[in-house]
This record gives sequence, structure tokens and C-alpha cells, in this order.
Amino acid sequence: MSTPAENEADNEHQKSKKPADTAFKQQRLPAWQPIITANTALPVFLAIGLIFIPIGIVLVVTSERVLEFDLDYTDTNCMSLNVSNTTCADVLAQANYTGASCTCQKSFTLDKDFEGDVYFYYGLVNYYQNHRRYVRSRDDNQLLGKKDAVSSDCQPFQKSVNGTDITPCGAIANSKFNDSLVLSMNGNISVPLLRTGIAWSTDKAVKFKNPDNPQNWFATNPRPPNWQQDAWHLDTNLTDDNNGYQNEDFIVWMRTAAMPTFRKLYRKLSLTESTTFQNGLPKGTYVLTITYNYPVTSFSGRKQFIISTTSWMGGKNPFLGWAYITVGIICMITFVVFLVLHKTWKTDDPLAYQMRSMQMNQRTAAGYN
Amino acid sequence: WRHIGFTFLTFFILFNNLIPISLQITVDLVKFIQAYFINWDKDMYDSETDTPANARTSNLNEELGQVKYIFSDKTGTLTKNEMIFKQCSISGIMYGSGNLAEFNNYELLKNLEQHETRDEIREFLTLLATCHTVVPENKAYTELPTEVAYQASSPDEFALVTAMKLLGIVFYSRTPDSVTINFRGEKEEYKILNVLEFSSDRKRMSVIIRTPRNEIKLYCKGADSVILERLAADDQHVKETGEHLENFANSGLRTLCLGYRTLTNEEYNIWSTKYREASTAINNRNELVAEVANQIECNLKLLGATGIEDKLQDQVSESLTMLHKAGIKIWVLTGDKKETAINIGYSCKLLSNQMLNLTLDEANLEDTQRQLRQHCQQFGDSLRKENPASLVIEGQTLKYALQAPCRQDFLDLAISCKTVICCRVSPKQKAEVVELVKRSVDAITLAIGDGANDVGMIQAAHVGVGIMGREGVQAACASDYTIGQFRFLTKLLFVHGVWSYRRLCKVLLYSFYKNICLYVMELWFAFHNGFSGQILFERWTIGIYNVIFTAAPPMALGLLDRSCNAATMMEYPAIYRMSQNRTDFNIKIFWTWCLNAVYHSIILYFMSYRMLRHDIVHDSGIVLGSHLYLGNLIYTYVVFVVCLKAGLESDSWTLLTHIAIWGSIASWFIFFAIYSYVWPTFPVAPEMRGMAKYVFSSPSFWFGLLLIPITALLADFIYNCIQRTFYKTLMQEVQEKEVKHQDLSDLVASRQTPAAPRATERLALLKSVFTRTRTPREVGIIDRPYHGFAFSQEENGVVPQDQLIRTYDTNIEKPPGY
Repeated sequence: MSTPAENEADNEHQKSKKPADTAFKQQRLPAWQPIITANTALPVFLAIGLIFIPIGIVLVVTSERVLEFDLDYTDTNCMSLNVSNTTCADVLAQANYTGASCTCQKSFTLDKDFEGDVYFYYGLVNYYQNHRRYVRSRDDNQLLGKKDAVSSDCQPFQKSVNGTDITPCGAIANSKFNDSLVLSMNGNISVPLLRTGIAWSTDKAVKFKNPDNPQNWFATNPRPPNWQQDAWHLDTNLTDDNNGYQNEDFIVWMRTAAMPTFRKLYRKLSLTESTTFQNGLPKGTYVLTITYNYPVTSFSGRKQFIISTTSWMGGKNPFLGWAYITVGIICMITFVVFLVLHKTWKTDDPLAYQMRSMQMNQRTAAGYN
Repeated sequence: WRHIGFTFLTFFILFNNLIPISLQITVDLVKFIQAYFINWDKDMYDSETDTPANARTSNLNEELGQVKYIFSDKTGTLTKNEMIFKQCSISGIMYGSGNLAEFNNYELLKNLEQHETRDEIREFLTLLATCHTVVPENKAYTELPTEVAYQASSPDEFALVTAMKLLGIVFYSRTPDSVTINFRGEKEEYKILNVLEFSSDRKRMSVIIRTPRNEIKLYCKGADSVILERLAADDQHVKETGEHLENFANSGLRTLCLGYRTLTNEEYNIWSTKYREASTAINNRNELVAEVANQIECNLKLLGATGIEDKLQDQVSESLTMLHKAGIKIWVLTGDKKETAINIGYSCKLLSNQMLNLTLDEANLEDTQRQLRQHCQQFGDSLRKENPASLVIEGQTLKYALQAPCRQDFLDLAISCKTVICCRVSPKQKAEVVELVKRSVDAITLAIGDGANDVGMIQAAHVGVGIMGREGVQAACASDYTIGQFRFLTKLLFVHGVWSYRRLCKVLLYSFYKNICLYVMELWFAFHNGFSGQILFERWTIGIYNVIFTAAPPMALGLLDRSCNAATMMEYPAIYRMSQNRTDFNIKIFWTWCLNAVYHSIILYFMSYRMLRHDIVHDSGIVLGSHLYLGNLIYTYVVFVVCLKAGLESDSWTLLTHIAIWGSIASWFIFFAIYSYVWPTFPVAPEMRGMAKYVFSSPSFWFGLLLIPITALLADFIYNCIQRTFYKTLMQEVQEKEVKHQDLSDLVASRQTPAAPRATERLALLKSVFTRTRTPREVGIIDRPYHGFAFSQEENGVVPQDQLIRTYDTNIEKPPGY
């Protein structure tokens, strides 16, 4: 039994202000103290070198195996079929870019078989899809299929002249790439192309939804001024799945590119439709028929048509491989230099030590003056 | 023009984070917790008074690591204000030892009985029991008591009388004209005929008494300098006593010399008449009295000397020595007299024979100015540098020295000395001195004190430290840090100060670094988006960069980093000089870090850009390159690089450091994964939808993750290697030895040896310069041998001591109080 007084004394004792003796409070937490000197770091440099160089070689080889064919059809590679000796670019320019269209054909030869999956891209150069005001000019709620009034972000492509909302609104949608590129082999066998499966699956599944009764909706609401038909007619096959906001060309275009030089996936080769193309795109002569609607020369842009296979790493880009090799080599050189230094200037060498401490003393002394 | 205006505004907003707003919060939080570490330190807990150290502000932790000047109060800070009679010398024989806590010498008592010097011993003891102004409180009112309480205006006398009591010579009663003592069982009553007061000019006090055997004796105690010159010509013990005095002084004791003389009735009567005349004179009374007193205080017979210890606080001299070693200059500002101050200077080793000891005691402005000018010239090239010199200055002289014509010279002279002692300074002067140094010298000043009279200087200094003493809490309340004991100051500075400073430097540099590293990226991206002001990253991910993803690493640097452990830092104060000289943070280092950040951002941005050049980084052939894809990819690498950079800069990785670094990286991955699924359930970040899936499924991303952060940090790593191998700092060498558990002493010694011979040479040189033309006394060098006289007595009070003791009659019972 303890009396209240004793209890109080006990409490008093416990209430002593003596700080707790814990490793954290006393700043005695066990710690690993890495001391990185030329000696101790030697294995690190060696390891990085030994790992990076092989990785680099693998990546370069992988990249080299990817086949790629580029065709710039901005001007002279696309001579108008109707107006002689005039590029399609000039045809559009002469029509003052008022929706004139021009068709051209360009033949080219593939030297190698493009085996496996083959992808067709269009590339744009000097095209600032990443401009702040351009990037902003869209309404993601509208693209979800909502019929509410669109955001003013879409300015100056928010409303048509009569005051109704443009579907889809905004500068990005209005500037959608609208050249059509058709490929045929040897001039007569048309290459079967897939129009779907070219966009991010999440975009197609979640971000882009058509409104109810889309056909009527798109027909009754104004389309972007640069478009020749409404959104419901983007895919001439008129499948529900690839029209309106859910058109994959449109979805691809709406994911704005990071750089002023960019590519966008246009079509995939269909391996199942024809036996000729079941293993990919065989080598031979091809003709590309271009319906040239998209003017780029006015802002010194370029347009490309690209055929590419992919590796497990994606398209052709040897940069990563070479970077690995370079960094690996730098590490190996550092390793060798430090090794030589280690052999010639031992840190435990008394002379070196003395020299160092003399320097140090001079430095400290200088500090006081 | 409108366009230019908007562009400017756009970029202003884009880059506003280069000066991180988060820095303020990070730094405040770090400092706040650092302050808690100070409070939590059990080594700074005073168990006697149950006071832990207490940081009353968290803003000054790092300044503790840069202190160059310490201004200290004396009483209560350096000393305990407790005097203890330690040793004495009687007729050339030394009694007592400096090592014992109290004087209780049986040899003395034995000699009192049977030794040939027993008469002198008896006189000596009687003198100490009668020649004083102490008032006894004999509470029991018994005859021949042995337990008496004393009231004394002089702590020295209190110590002497108390010591006598312990020896059995109990002074227990005072009436207006007599004192009564219990001399080992015998009652002896001494008539007090005259009291010749103590004053700092006279440096002695005498009483003339009539003994029980009806002899008239003059007892005199005072400074060795005044007693020795008043001895009768043939005194035989002068030499031994002198040696003993020196001995006492060297062990830091306060000394007094004792002498006596027997007077004949006629002699006394003649003198007494003169004295009465002098003391009733209307003009120049004080001078006349002193003159007459001087006439009788001659032909003394030397009895011996006493040594009183002015008890220092625990480990004061060790602490001060360490502070000196750390390159800190120590100024003692005390209200005490010069002798007392010098005495303390010696006993806590602030003054020693290994330095040039200067004193300044001038009565007017011109002399002060002349003397200061002369000293400054004599210092020559070593002026304003670290010299083995000390300066003692009187309060009166200080008043002149602080005036405009002298101020600069005084400052130059004072900062050329390791130790400066200012005596008899008022609280206001204390503050003025601190203010002067703070304003004129680019260094951090610290003031430490315990009493209300230190409040001024504590507030004036950059850092004020209060000692939770017995003298109330004013000083503690005015201070920034309170500690229980002076000795805790070393840990506060050497460990907490240095740690806080180094850590805070790292936090500051790192905070700038991490923000620059991220935001400069927007500039590189601006080249690719036509300077439209488009941001590379999603806005919320930018927003919480400092809040989540890189919040923990600076905290780890600011709280957990330690380059070597506390014990080592306490043992080698030289380490302190690094932070003191601000080697960790200056403009050069700041820009180096900024450039480092820019370099990292270039590597990160352009390598990522090249990696995504053709936008096809997925085996499904789809195009992944949207600006946010690039942004998120780079952002991941930035978080990696920035967190690992914190690791690279950490001197020690504790478990919490690991959690901070890897946890921050993990937090981004988790956030990124979740954030990519928010749209359209929540109306934010439509562009982020599906990002994580496509970023994580790209092999290029993972290969880049291995390559790009390592590439960015490779240069830093190589730089660290080279620096650590060939340009090690003292701190790093100490750390290495510590990790290898090697003995550090030779390392630190090797750093000190070249300096040591220089110091003695310099001292000799200085001394020769100073004494070339004049005698030491003229120059104001304390002349050796130093005999350690010091005596405290209230002077020039309203009631003179003579009258004071004559108003008491302790035989009358005190009226009961209500």
C-alpha cells in the first residue's frame, strides 16, 4: 500500500526532466558511412563499365535490326496528277488553302523484306503541337461524350458563327491531319491496312466516348471549320466503333506530340487479309497514293511517310545503346585512371600524407588571415 | 508589345519556383527539430537542478557552429560564487592541500600544541577570527557555541571565518566594541579599538584590538605587495612565504598576506589621538584617515598567507581550454575588481605565463588613447590576428576605450588577443562591448551569463546563452538557449552547433539544387515548344514535388546526417574551425551547386529527349511521345537523381535516411500509378489517364532509368572520389579514422605541431617588442611572479565598515519577527 504522498513523490520522480536515452534522441542511430575514395570506388566503376557496355551493344544491335523507310512528300515527291509540273503543295497554296485537295502518286522500292508487324506513320517536322495555347485548346469533357456547353479553353474554335458549340471544339481538333495515304504493291495489289489498334487503348476505352445518338448529334452540330465532313464520317467504313470522337486517327491526333518533330501512327499492316502480306511487307516496288489536303509549307513544315518494323524496344533509335556504351567506356577509363593513381600514389604513403597535411595547414592558416 | 508582356509573365510564373518557396518551410522544420535535439541531449542535462538544455528559439542553431567570440559573465557562470579556504602558510610552513575539498588540517592543530611556531600559529588563527567585518548569528545564544551562522559582505572573510570555525576557533559574538571567540574551548574577548577599513587603494584591512591579556595588537591582512613592504626589516619568513604565495597563485587561489604588530600603550594613545582628529576632519577626511592609518601599519611581523579558492563551476577550465583550441576568443565581462578577475583568469587558465598579458588601467581619455595606440603599433603585423596574448581592462578605462577616438584601436587590440577580461563593468557596458564587437567584426558572437546584469549582453550578442542558475531566471528568459552548467556550452557549440550548421548548409544547398534541377528543365523544353510557356510536367505533380516526392531527403540531410560522432567532435575542437570559418557555405559553393543542378537537368532532359526522339518506344508500334509522356519519364528520373544526390551528399546513412530516400522514390511511383487512373472519375488530369501503364510498359523507360540517373550522378561521384582521395578536409580524415576505429590523436597532433613552435616564437617576439623600451609595469604587462591577491569587500557603501560592525550587538536577542 502506498500513501498518496508516496505516489506523489513517485510521480515527481517520473516527471524528472531528464531526456530519454534513445538512439534517435541522442543522435546515435547506427549509420553506414560510405567513404568514397578512388580506391573504394574502383569496383563501382568496373561494375558499371562491365554491365553497361554489353547492354549498350545489345541495344544497338536491336535497334539496327529495325527496318525503316522514310519518304518526305512535302513538295517534289508529290507532283499533282491534275496540274502538270506543280507540286500538290503549290496547288494548295494557289487555292489559298480554302479546302482544295490534290492527289499525287509516288513510287518507291523496298530493298528488304519488312517482316512481322509493319507500321505506317506520318511524320511532321517544325510543327509545334506542344505550343501552350494549342495544347490547351480542347475540351476533354466534350470528348467524354458529354453534351454540356464546351469550355472556353477551345477558343478560338469554341463556337461557330451562329453560336453553337463546335464538335469537337478547339485548335487541336480543327488542325487534325487529313491527308490520306494509300499504298499498293507493284501498282496494282493494294496493301491491306488496319485503321484500328493504333491509339492508346486507355484513350480509346476511357477518354473518348461518343454522345448518345452520335450520328444525329454530329450532323446537327457544326464541325470544326477546317474539316470537310463531320466527325461521324471520319472513317468511310462507317463502323460505329471508329467514328465520331472514337475515331482512332482523331484520338492519335488529340494526344499532342512532345516535340516539334514527331511521328504519329497512321496504319498497321493487316497480316491476315492477304497471303502476300502474311509475313509482312515483302521487298519490291510500291506506289503511294496521297490525297494531299494538309498544308505545311506555309510554316516551313515537312511531311513524311514512314514504314517501320519494331523490335521489343520499339522503333529504330540507337541512342540508348550508344549512350550505354559511352557511359560504360567513361567508367572503364575512370577505373583505369584511378587504378594507376592508386598504384602510384598510395594514400597511406607518408610523404603524400605529409604533403597533404602541409597544404591543409597552409590553407587553414590562410583562413585566419 | 502586349505579346512580350504576356511572354514575360508566362515565364515569370514558369520559373518562380527556382527560388524555392518550400525552402522556408523545410528550413524552419529542420531547425525546429534540431532545437529539439538540443533539448533531448542527455549530456546537457543537469541532474543537480533537473534542468535539460532548452533551445528557446530554433533560428540560431547554425550560428552556434560559427561562434568566434564568447562573452562570458564571471560570477555564477564561470564561478560558483563560493569561496573556500584551501591552504595557508604560517611562518614558512605550508598547511593544507589544493586537492582536498576543505581545509581541515590536523597537522596545524598538532603544531598549535607543541611546535616551535605555535605562538605564530595562535596569532595567525586569532587574526583570522578577529580581523574582519563578519557578523555572527548565534541562534542558540549559548555560551561557547560551535555552530554559528555568519553574515558577511565579503565572501573571502566568510570563507576565512568559516574555516576557523571548523578548526574550533569559533567567532560567535560581536558587540559594538568587542568580538568574542571560542578558542578551542576557551572564551576570549577582544576589545576592538579601531578598524582600518579595506579599500582597493589600500588593499589591506587592519584592526587594533586589546587582547584578554591586555596587550594592544594591530592585525593586518591584505595584498602581498602592501604587506611585504610594511614588514619590519629583519623578517625571516618572507622568502618561504613568497614561494608559497606563488604556489597558491599558480593553483588559482586568491591570496592574502597576514601580519601583526604589538603596540605599547603610549604608541597607541598618540596614534589614537591623531586618528580621531583625522576621522573628524571636515576636509579630505578620507585622505587624512588613510594617511594616519598608514603610519601605524608598519614594522609588521609576517604571520603567513592564506589561499582561498573561488570555486569554479564544474569543468570550467577544461571547457575554456577547448573553446580556445577551437579558435574562439573569450571575453570575460565582470563587475568584479581587477585582482579578482585576473585571479579567475588564472584559475580557469584563461591567463597563463605562456602568453603576453597586457593590462589597461588609465584614468583619462588621453592616456587611454595613447596607450592603445602604442599597443596597436607594437603588435605590428600580428594585429587583428590570433596571438598568444591577453588583455585586462578596467571598467573606467573601458569607458574611454569605447569612445569614438579610441574605439578602433581598442577593437584592433582586443581582437588580437585570445582572452580579454573587462573588470568592473556595468551591465550597460557589457552590452556596449558586445555590440561593438558584433558590429565591427564579421563573426558570430555569443554571450553567456546567469544573472539579471547579463541580460543586456545576452540580448546584444548574436546568440545569447543563459545559465539556469540560482540567481533567478532573467538571464534565461532573455536568452536563446538555456543550459544548466557552463560546461555544457562545449557540447552545444562543438556538436549541436557544428551539426546544425553543416546540416543546414546541406539543406539549403540541396533545396536550391533540387528545385533548379527540376525547373530549369522548363527552359530546355521552351526551346522545343517555341517559347510558348508550355510546361513539361503535369501541374499537380509539379505542385507536390516539394511536398511529397523530395520532402524527405532534405529532412534526412538536415536531421540525421553526421560526419563524425559527438565524442570525436568533443575531443578535437579543431574540427570546429571548419564551420567557424564558413567553409561549407559561401557564394562559390552555392554557385557550384546551382551549376551542378543545371548540369543534371541538361543530362536528364536531353538524354530523355534523344531517347524518345522517334516517339516509338513500345513494341506495339504505337506512338507514345506526348509531352506529358516525356514529362513523366523525365520527372521519374529527376526524382531518382535528386533523391540519390541527397544520398551522395549524406555522410551517414541511417535506417531513416534509407527510408527517406527510397521511400521518396517509391512515393512517386505509387502516386504516378494512382494518378494515371483518376480521370474521368475525378475531373483532374485527363492527360495523365493511362500514363503509368504506357510508361511502365516501355522497355526504354526502364533502360533509361538505369542509365540516365547514373550518368547524371557520375560526374558528382567522380568529383567526390577525387576530392576525398586528394583534397581531403580535416573532417573527412577524422571521419575515415573513426570508421576504421583508428587512433585520432596523431592525426590531430600532426595538424597542430607546425603551429605550436610558432606560437612560442611569436610570444617571445611579442614580449621583446613590448618591453624593449619600457619596463613591464609601464607597458601594462602584468609583472611576474604573480601572487594572486584578490579580496572582495563592499566599498564606499552608505555605512562604512567601521560603523557597520559597531552597530551590532549579537548578544542581544533579536526581536521576534512577524
